[in-house]
Amino acid sequence: MQFFFEVLIGGLLAGVMYSLVALGFVLIFKASGVFNFAQGAMVFFAALTTVGFASMGVPFWLAVALALAVMVALAFATERVVLRPLVNQPQITLFMATIGLSFFIEGIAQLAWGANVRALDLGIADEPIEWLMDRTGMNVSKFDLVASGIAAGLVAVLAVFFNKTRTGRALRAVADDHQAALSVGISLQKIWVIVWMTAGFVALVTGLLWGARNGVQFALTFLALKALPVLILGGLDSVAGAIVAGLIFGASEKLAEVYLGPYVGGGIESWFPYVLALGFLLVRPEGLFGERRIDRV
Amino acid sequence: MTALLEVDDVSLAFGGVVALQGVSFDVREHEVRAIIGPNGAGKSSMLNVINGVYHPQRGTVAFKGRKRRRVDPHDAAAQGIARTFQNIALFRGMSVLDNLMTGRNLKMKRGVFAQALYVGAARREELEHREKVEAIIDFLEIQHVRKTPVGRLPYGLQKRVELGRALAAEPELLLLDEPMAGMNVEEKQDMSRFILDVNDQMGTTVVLIEHDMGVVMDLSDRVVVLDYGRKIADGTPDEVRRDQRVIDAYLGVTH
Repeated sequence: MQFFFEVLIGGLLAGVMYSLVALGFVLIFKASGVFNFAQGAMVFFAALTTVGFASMGVPFWLAVALALAVMVALAFATERVVLRPLVNQPQITLFMATIGLSFFIEGIAQLAWGANVRALDLGIADEPIEWLMDRTGMNVSKFDLVASGIAAGLVAVLAVFFNKTRTGRALRAVADDHQAALSVGISLQKIWVIVWMTAGFVALVTGLLWGARNGVQFALTFLALKALPVLILGGLDSVAGAIVAGLIFGASEKLAEVYLGPYVGGGIESWFPYVLALGFLLVRPEGLFGERRIDRV
Repeated sequence: MTALLEVDDVSLAFGGVVALQGVSFDVREHEVRAIIGPNGAGKSSMLNVINGVYHPQRGTVAFKGRKRRRVDPHDAAAQGIARTFQNIALFRGMSVLDNLMTGRNLKMKRGVFAQALYVGAARREELEHREKVEAIIDFLEIQHVRKTPVGRLPYGLQKRVELGRALAAEPELLLLDEPMAGMNVEEKQDMSRFILDVNDQMGTTVVLIEHDMGVVMDLSDRVVVLDYGRKIADGTPDEVRRDQRVIDAYLGVTH
């Protein structure tokens, strides 16, 4: 039983990290209706930029601040160069544009900082929490716990931002109805910059946490693929969904690996979420918390 | 009385389709001005030109004495023009309260970062505006649905919420595109009362498009009649009603 809980907690904490990635997608989708394929590339780019600055001898906190500034600049550039010319184009066009954007960002990142795997040390040890180890004998990583704390804080801030502030309302308004949003004096361009800035910020946090765990490397861009089943389960437009689904996947893939793995020769961790998501699609295509579409005929 | 809005010789075409042709009229401060005409006469296009959704190929629109050729909807909103739409354009996923708060978008000044932290000034500002919005909710008698997502409300109430969102911006000029379309008699009476109260108590100038002749004649001070994109009459309801060209346009005429 104790082993079960250990696996469960480890899985949930890993799940928080999936939630973080998915959150970046949800934010942009909620506010602009665009599925931003470039989110994974942005995570990679943000982490690499931080490490890059740090390796130039800049203090770590300044490197993070500089990376944030770069992400803000990226948001402005994206709005100006990619989104503005595509106003009023179908969603699929915007989606294709973000695929292009993702290749571009990957290229720029490696052009600027090189393609080597880099280590990132946040100064949080990835070792068991002794207090918990002594009491219960469970092995829970300190790093995972801190990462979850940071993620939870981020989510709380974003939730307040989206629900309680003018800009948050404006973001939702734009997602709902462009024409109406314009008529109350919301500038689409400004909102899009803010959305991409927020997504860039989330990408930076995600990149730092994942980078510290697995090293800052090109594979970070594939996080986008990890986020897909989370998004399917949680619903593309639900922040709460992204979190819950991330937790479910984190926990289920670890549990499946430990308990089902031996029967099928192991290694199911990497595909189990997709199968789960596929099954889920058959039952509830809009996701756990997604907005159900009801069309009047 | 001075003119708040002056439309001068406006022409608008979509490719070969001419929507408006040399239309001129003015809207005086504090009046209720109606635009009427048969289907496809260019009424909605006229409103869309005024609030900057369409840019006319010829002619100008002057608001508060400032001439402009090209203006975007959010600039128009910033100058004090609010509107409602023919096919309700509300933020369907958001509550009535949030819809109205969004209407106050331009009145709120705190920066994004203060808001992100939701501290001090940003929070106070939020509460201040909340009060104004609650007053509008009371005024429109929609207290009972303030937390309901707009998408779930019946049609008549949605129309009222849309009016509320426009009012939340405290506009000087209110454009209403068929505010009473599809309503029953009782709902129409309510809506008429609200429009008159807005005009009376808040001193808001109103330009409205409406099909129901009874309503138009009761509500408006002056009426513009459009037909096939041209202005065919302009005057008080009584004058317009007696105008032969208007009667022809509405009843048809044998050529």
